[in-house]
Amino acid sequence: MPIVELKKIRKVYDTKVAVEGLSLTIEPGTMFGLLGPNGSGKTSSIRMMIGMTVPDSGTVSLFGRPFERGSLHRVGYLPEERGLYKKMKVLDQLVFLGQLHGLSEGTARSRAKVWCERMQIADAMEKKTEELSKGMQQKIQFIAALLHEPELIIMDEPFSGLDPVNAELLQDTLIELRKEGKAVLFSTHRMDQVERMCDGIALVSRGKLVLSGSMREVKAEYPKNRLHVVFTGDAGFLQHPEIEEAKNYSGVAEIKLRSEAGAQAVLAEAMARGTVITRFEVKEPTLEEIFIERVRASFGDEEARGIVDA
Amino acid sequence: MHNIWLIAKREYTERIKTKAFLIATILIPTLMGGGIFGIASIAARSKTTSHIAVLASQPQPAEDLKQELENGKNSKMTVDILPASTSHAVLDKEIDDKKIDGYLVIAPPTSGEDRPTFDYRPRSSADIATSEAIETALHKVLITEYLKGRGVSASETSAMMAPVTLNILGKNGEHGNSRTSFIVAYVLFFLMYMVVLLYGMNVARSIIEEKTSRVFEVLLATIKPDELLAGKILGVGAVGLTQVGIWMIAAAALAVTAGATSGITLTVPQVVFFIVYFALGYALYSSVAAALGAMTNSEQELQQLNMFLMLPLFLCMGMLLPVVTNPNSLLSVFVSEIPFCAPLLMELRISISMPPPWQIGLSIGLILVTIYAVLWVSSRIYRVGILMYGKKPNLPEILRWMKYS
Repeated sequence: MPIVELKKIRKVYDTKVAVEGLSLTIEPGTMFGLLGPNGSGKTSSIRMMIGMTVPDSGTVSLFGRPFERGSLHRVGYLPEERGLYKKMKVLDQLVFLGQLHGLSEGTARSRAKVWCERMQIADAMEKKTEELSKGMQQKIQFIAALLHEPELIIMDEPFSGLDPVNAELLQDTLIELRKEGKAVLFSTHRMDQVERMCDGIALVSRGKLVLSGSMREVKAEYPKNRLHVVFTGDAGFLQHPEIEEAKNYSGVAEIKLRSEAGAQAVLAEAMARGTVITRFEVKEPTLEEIFIERVRASFGDEEARGIVDA
Repeated sequence: MHNIWLIAKREYTERIKTKAFLIATILIPTLMGGGIFGIASIAARSKTTSHIAVLASQPQPAEDLKQELENGKNSKMTVDILPASTSHAVLDKEIDDKKIDGYLVIAPPTSGEDRPTFDYRPRSSADIATSEAIETALHKVLITEYLKGRGVSASETSAMMAPVTLNILGKNGEHGNSRTSFIVAYVLFFLMYMVVLLYGMNVARSIIEEKTSRVFEVLLATIKPDELLAGKILGVGAVGLTQVGIWMIAAAALAVTAGATSGITLTVPQVVFFIVYFALGYALYSSVAAALGAMTNSEQELQQLNMFLMLPLFLCMGMLLPVVTNPNSLLSVFVSEIPFCAPLLMELRISISMPPPWQIGLSIGLILVTIYAVLWVSSRIYRVGILMYGKKPNLPEILRWMKYS
């Protein structure tokens, strides 16, 4: 039974199409990455997933049933725009948000304390939110989304604005939650993170799904046609006909081949020219490269550049 | 229901705890009470104490005038009687030196039947109190003198001059006190006006606070916008009721300890209707305020729109006098049935003279219908408006929002 199932959802705001025929499925116990440049419809899709806005057409199912508000007690949500009551004490705030998610006051209070310890912000519990740093506030909001032990955790850009130490703390926490059998969905435009953490991905651009599936499936679709070469001497081998595209960063070359088999020919050419090779690696394309390629195929060069900027 | 309760509870406890609440609760009645006492005590002591000179060729009526001005009911002035030949230039100089506040020249009548002419030169023509005191005193002195000339005794004269008391009777003949009911009506009117305005705006502000801090996005992930709206109105409303309650209890305690010297008493229907109309008026205005809050993104934008909240209240202010002077006229009946005015004006009419029950019933019915309509529209604007941020909506957009489910 999939935890989230979107079928051809579509949302139009006035004249702008935010989401166009998006379908995706998230299974329990998976870490799902929703990728896309800014303004590609990630947040709109997430909002429809939790019933904050209603799709113009298409269906949303949570936990195997058509969307109903009662299911929201099983969902934890961290919005992209963080917000907390500034004047409220941290603990009171967490208790309040926990109660809204259906917890009793006592349970909310004891769980909030445990989580604050776990996220290393126990000292802040009695402080007012406005006295805390932005990163700390983000951790509090993170806790608020998890207090009621949701089966589905949805986080919109959870790592933006965090220092590396805290980002890793959050990352590890999410990975632990996934191990406990919870489904985690997060949106980001940092491909490397997704590549490291996620089992399933969906790439959206201009409100449309460009690519989706498990990480293995997505990668398997693409040939191992990337070379990473570190060399000194003659760079003439980069002109080899098997090479479709090559970037030479003075002695470090990123090469895209026309076919998987071309690698040996390129190596032979380099040897023949007497170039000294210190490193020669055949790689699969990175998620970012796959994404750019797909977007370029669907929308042209300009849109693809937008992804790199994002 | 549970969610509405949670939202209302948070709103209530967080607001009660603020210093602003404490200050307003203590300071506003202190200032208002102080103001009323201050005005009353100034009014009581506003006998003029000016020092004037009277230029007269004959001792009468100057002597009587001096007596009246120095020991009269409303004046404690100092009067110097000078011969008529005194140079005006010298007196003008004394005025400039602030030795005297003015001088009065009494010129004898040209023919026997005429009154003397009185010319008064004050230091400041704005000193109305003194010139009025002189005018009143002269009038009294002239009449007394005339009666004396006709052989009427002094005691008879003072008996004739005594003021008349007009007893105002209620419908069933008991001794009413119209002044008291006016005062009560005014006090209740302004109390309601202030609280509705203050707390209505608080609802709008608390919604904007949630928008600017973006808390609502977390809240909306679990609860419905209507619940959030209802919780806010109830929570902030309860704060308003608490504050008014504290003021009322304090006022009651004060009245009891002061032995009710003011003679102002609140009747049970007055209190009951005040609470009923306060609750209704509050609910109505805060739903409008909530809609305004949902449409705007900042306090500044709200300021531009809050005239929609103020306009009906200004209308009520304008209607205050016609309703007070003639509570049962067609105009009064009409304006007090307008839902946005009814909480104030019908309440005012009730505390002056009880209108027929059907009018009260109709006004309450109309308010309820309007609240329902405004809430329906507000919750729709709210639902869409809180998620649309960045740009200010225009009217066609707001109308389109109504259609979104």
